Amino acid sequence: MFTIVNRETCISCGACGASAPDIFEYCDEGLSFVTLDDNEGTAEVPEEFEDDVEDACDGCPTDSIKISDSPFDGDPEKFE
Amino acid sequence: MDQENVYDVTIIGGGPTGLFSAFYGGLRQMKVKIIESMPQLGGQLAALYPEKYIYDIPGFPKVTGKELVDSLKEQTAQFNPTIVLEQSVLNIEKNEGVFTLTSNTGEKHYSKTILITAGVGAFEPRKLKLDNESKFEKDCLHYFVDDMNKFAGKKVTVFGGGDSALDWALMLEPIAEKVTLVHRRDKFRAHEHSVELLKKSCVEIMTPFVPDELIGEDSIEQVVLKESKGDKKVSLNTDIVLVNYGFISSLGPIKDWGLELEKNSIVVDSRMETNIEGIYAAGDINTYEGKVKLIATGFGEAPTAISNAKASIDPKGRIQPLHSTSIMDKRLKEQEEKEKETVRG
Repeated sequence: MFTIVNRETCISCGACGASAPDIFEYCDEGLSFVTLDDNEGTAEVPEEFEDDVEDACDGCPTDSIKISDSPFDGDPEKFE
Repeated sequence: MDQENVYDVTIIGGGPTGLFSAFYGGLRQMKVKIIESMPQLGGQLAALYPEKYIYDIPGFPKVTGKELVDSLKEQTAQFNPTIVLEQSVLNIEKNEGVFTLTSNTGEKHYSKTILITAGVGAFEPRKLKLDNESKFEKDCLHYFVDDMNKFAGKKVTVFGGGDSALDWALMLEPIAEKVTLVHRRDKFRAHEHSVELLKKSCVEIMTPFVPDELIGEDSIEQVVLKESKGDKKVSLNTDIVLVNYGFISSLGPIKDWGLELEKNSIVVDSRMETNIEGIYAAGDINTYEGKVKLIATGFGEAPTAISNAKASIDPKGRIQPLHSTSIMDKRLKEQEEKEKETVRG
């Protein structure tokens, strides 16, 4: 599983960090990013955090958390 | 159009900035209406983080989202603004100095000015995403509990794993015939305390399952569940479904109103007025050079927007208001006089 935050639509609500604190953190602007690969979506999510990431994806109020089986290569809209 | 129905300012969005704007409109003796898409006021604070502490509200070292919303509602209620819930504004037109706002229910609202305090746009509940979901939404598929009696004596299936899902499952358990809670994984996101209560309760827990199908003609009879990472299917006899999958927001029709936008935010000048005369924007939804998106900023922009809106419709209306202490003192004295009159009468 790969994940990335669409920082264009993120509203800094803090929901993803609450669901998956090992995967998401917030930058100085308050926007969320994936800590594994500096939000490039290229590092595989460790299996033990996959459920947390799915929770974060489900809980994101702007659908900004993207999940895929393939790497995003820095583009959150790659598979849309 | 009846002049009685024309408001001085209609505020779109009942979050913190909208609520404080409504209060301020009342203070400036304006006739105020708030239109909110959710069945509750409070915006993101109420929908996303009612229990979280906020540390950057002036005068409050720390305050939860819910406490802040409750205080704002109390403050706003002093002036009894008209509050319209569960409507989102689809369209705005201006004729002879009066705006007509048409909502999703078809209702029309009339106003001399508009203040958009819609934050990140209208919130709506996240849906189950099942084919025939919409046909049950009126009677037996709910996203909110507005009346617990609807669930009395019924077989209730609750979807979700967060605080709302657990809280409602526990609240409904004593009055429903049976409550089943369905969640995609075995672990719940809700507070540990709620999870403990859940395990001790009579609520049936179905994990790890996701909804697969709703079966029934006019009303739901059965819910088919599917294992979230398998193929096993289970059918549950169900009268009523409650979905607690959180909320999703979108700017929606605001994009089509002819407002100048910059990255999904509405561009305003130093009076908080948009490119359309008479339409103002405050809080997270607006932008200008140096804009900072904080609740505190929205609180500051609210009186600016309201006072300029007031001055635009009332040639005698000052932009710079009197101190609230003077206004409220005068108001209290007037109320006391009125009460004395009533006693004498």
